[in-house]
Amino acid sequence: MTTLTATKKMADCLKPGTSFIALLAGFLFLTACASTPPPTKEISAAEQSMIDAEQARVAQYALPELQEARSKLAAARTAVLNEEMEEAKRLAVEASAGIKFATAKAELAKAEAVNADMQKNIRVLKEEMQRTSGEQQ
Amino acid sequence: MKLSTSMNLKAQTKRGLHLSKPLIMALGSALILAACANSPKSPSGAVAARERLVQLQNDPALASRVSVAIREADDAVTAAEVPMKDKVKSDHLVFVATREVDVAWAQAKTRQLEDQRAGLSERRDSERLESRTREADRALDAAAQARADAEAARREIDELNAKETERGLVVTLGDMLFETGNAQLTGNAFANLGKLSNFLNKYPERSLVIEGHTDSVGSESSNQSLSQRRADSVRQYLLQQGVAANRLTAVGKGESYPVASNDSTSGRALNRRVEVIIAK
Repeated sequence: MTTLTATKKMADCLKPGTSFIALLAGFLFLTACASTPPPTKEISAAEQSMIDAEQARVAQYALPELQEARSKLAAARTAVLNEEMEEAKRLAVEASAGIKFATAKAELAKAEAVNADMQKNIRVLKEEMQRTSGEQQ
Repeated sequence: MKLSTSMNLKAQTKRGLHLSKPLIMALGSALILAACANSPKSPSGAVAARERLVQLQNDPALASRVSVAIREADDAVTAAEVPMKDKVKSDHLVFVATREVDVAWAQAKTRQLEDQRAGLSERRDSERLESRTREADRALDAAAQARADAEAARREIDELNAKETERGLVVTLGDMLFETGNAQLTGNAFANLGKLSNFLNKYPERSLVIEGHTDSVGSESSNQSLSQRRADSVRQYLLQQGVAANRLTAVGKGESYPVASNDSTSGRALNRRVEVIIAK
């Protein structure tokens, strides 16, 4: 809200002609942007969870989700280079959220596989027993 | 008395003042909430995320397993629900909220599957146990059956008066089967041969050789043919009893294989015989 009014004011000032105040305001605005620190914490958190996900073989079960997160992380690094810190932070946070979901999805897929295997074993045992007891009769 | 009532009154008014503060605050926040609810600007993505989260929260079996993930998802959804003009930021918060809800769902399902494993392995163990038990029972039954079969076979062999030799089981049928010089079976024969045919029908894998033997009385060629005819009539009888022809071989051995001296009557009687050799 405040930034909006500020820009409006700035635009108003610029219209009639370049004024010192407007220039100053613009300068302050830019320096404010440039001085926002890079989202180091968010990016390194996303990087760490990416390493963890790779070690947990998440790609085997949730490849598209992991790839999406990976490209967001890369985009976050690019945004830092372009000094778009807000954008970089958002991308890093979204990458982390994406990796978290990919990991959870992979865990679910693994659990499903284990349970399916157990169920299959039970079925095989049952069938085997029915067959052998059938032979006996 | 009077003093205490006035003090009580004071305390009550004090408490009343204290009570009114949170009341006002609650009223205020209710108004804020109402304002939020009335505002149509809560992003549709956040509404959808809230619906899915509520769905998870309403499933007690699932929700109880992932309270932390649900709390995190709730926070993210609440942040995304705040209406804002900054579309980029709003989309970002909706994305994060959606992912957090997805995570909570995936974790809940995973926990549920993990919890089912105890039951599954119990079922597997009981199936395995039952299968092993049946297998053992079957093995025991089979062993008992085999023992019983062997016992029965031994008894039947004993009844046949068979002797174990290296050629197989030898059943000697004495000369009382036949009239002197004749190959026709007598009534005596049938009891003995009946046992033999029963045995053969029970053990169809066993084949046998029927050998006819005579004493040295008479010419060698007539003894040879007599022994062959006697062996043949035993074979014929067994064929009539249903023993397959390919299992039966009849051979006339003449007088060449005496089992006793031909000089005495008793020795000659032993030499006039039919031997049935049952292969192992």
